[in-house]
Amino acid sequence: MMELRSTLAGRIVLTAVATVILLFLALPIVVILVTSFSNNAFASFPPDTWTLNWYQALFADGSKWPAALSLSALVAALSTVFSLIIGVTAATALTRSELPLRSAVYALVLGPLVIPQIVTALGLFLLFEPAAMLGSPIAIALGHTVLAAPIAVLILIATLRGIDERLEDAAASMGAGRLTIARRITFPLAAPGMIAAAIFSFITSFDEFYISQFLSSVDTVTLPVQVYNSLTFEIDPSVTAISAILIALAILALALVALARWLGSGRQGSLLSVENTAGVANPGGETV
Amino acid sequence: MAALTTTAPARPRKLLASRKTRIGILYALPVVVYLLVLFVYPIFSTLFLSLKDTDGALTLHWYADALTGVNLSVLFTTLRISAETALLSLVFGFVLANAISRLKPLWAGVAMLIVVVPHFISALVRTYGWIIMLGDKGLVNETLTGLSLPGAPFQLLYNELGVVIGTTSMMLPYTVLLLYGVMRGVDRRLLAAAASMGAGRITIFRRIYLPLVSPGLASAGLLSFILSLGYYITPALMGGPNQTMIATLINQQVMKENQWNGAAAQGVLLLLITFAGLLLVKLVTSLGASRRKRSAT
Repeated sequence: MMELRSTLAGRIVLTAVATVILLFLALPIVVILVTSFSNNAFASFPPDTWTLNWYQALFADGSKWPAALSLSALVAALSTVFSLIIGVTAATALTRSELPLRSAVYALVLGPLVIPQIVTALGLFLLFEPAAMLGSPIAIALGHTVLAAPIAVLILIATLRGIDERLEDAAASMGAGRLTIARRITFPLAAPGMIAAAIFSFITSFDEFYISQFLSSVDTVTLPVQVYNSLTFEIDPSVTAISAILIALAILALALVALARWLGSGRQGSLLSVENTAGVANPGGETV
Repeated sequence: MAALTTTAPARPRKLLASRKTRIGILYALPVVVYLLVLFVYPIFSTLFLSLKDTDGALTLHWYADALTGVNLSVLFTTLRISAETALLSLVFGFVLANAISRLKPLWAGVAMLIVVVPHFISALVRTYGWIIMLGDKGLVNETLTGLSLPGAPFQLLYNELGVVIGTTSMMLPYTVLLLYGVMRGVDRRLLAAAASMGAGRITIFRRIYLPLVSPGLASAGLLSFILSLGYYITPALMGGPNQTMIATLINQQVMKENQWNGAAAQGVLLLLITFAGLLLVKLVTSLGASRRKRSAT
């Protein structure tokens, strides 16, 4: 391909088209961030006067946003805990043991990610409705975990595969017990992956709409359902402010994942280099 | 255990294996039980509900309902919008992935960030961004009017154009990431070999490059088609009455009409189309793998 359109004109056209496509992806997000500070919400772009009114309106008396926000945070926190428990055990089973029907378990884990979410949501509705659990934060969190746990499992599988098993074997050969190995070797090396799994489970639950809508009741409305309602039924300009906050949270979460990766990146290298430096140090010791 | 310990020399190894197996089963239990109870069982109960008449007898009439009249046209609309979305996100994804694969690492990183970050922002929020942008006085129409384009402002919302713009922007990160991976995997020596034997650019593209990336193109297109099928938020907020998709119908029947059986039948239909699509993806992928193997030898 490198050779195919290497003429200058071709390159300019391609760059221009690629830039337009990138704008296509980025502009809807930028527009929300800018509009959330705009005085006349939808009248013009870019706005002529700026304001913080929409952010203040979020926490005004009678606002539905604080309740929705705290319910979503509670549900997402529960769902993160469930997903991490399932994720750590499942990833250990799939990478560090001999598991019969391994590919069937793997397919089961991938299932919720490829099946239309509306079908999963409908099934969960049929499960929780007879149990009179509609509107229960626990039910919503259990439902979200169906989507969030597979993501945690996939991230943790990649994390455990990236850890050199020789380190665990070496610790075992020196007499460390299984618990010590997990605590001193595996856990510190897997920590960035676990942080990533926790953050992605949290976002998955926090942003989830289909399951929330089917399992919510009049009193328990999660944040995305409230956003959807205020876009369809009552036009409420403070929805722009909450959208901007959601964007900021997502970017913050991605930055945290990147930070954890970066902090953890040197660890395995330094552990593995111990054996090399030990090898080098020995001849030096003889001369003394 | 008794069977395992019959031959003495193999004993330690087999013991270890069986212990590893037991640990594996123990650790796999939470995920398997959880998904069986909260994912597989609900889907089966959806299936049973779709086959059950009001008096409890076995029936197919919910499927007959789902495949006639308005419901059938909604099914066709769903397939049409998904196909349009898949085609557009494939074309845009191909151009963008191709451009990124030729950038210097720093710029490629920046471009990839712009592709990946929106994917982690709620689809609902991004749809709202499009609604602000595509309105009569939104950024797009203001710009087009400013350029004094004839016909501006255009109707960009509450029609099929609006829905397809929205769903395409949701699917684009998937196709770009998939195609970028495929393009990076093309062995450049093959292109160089063809060029050294005198093949022209167009011949190289058509005879070497395209056959190598086409399985990736096909599976990216199929994947965005499958993922668009169940879309609800964007068509509901950016479309008009003619863009009702099957997910909207399922939602209406459960929330407003209390018609669970009909909703279940439509859910099962959606599931069957998805499975057919996934089967095609699998076929295409194995075809691609065998083709790559052949070109490498």
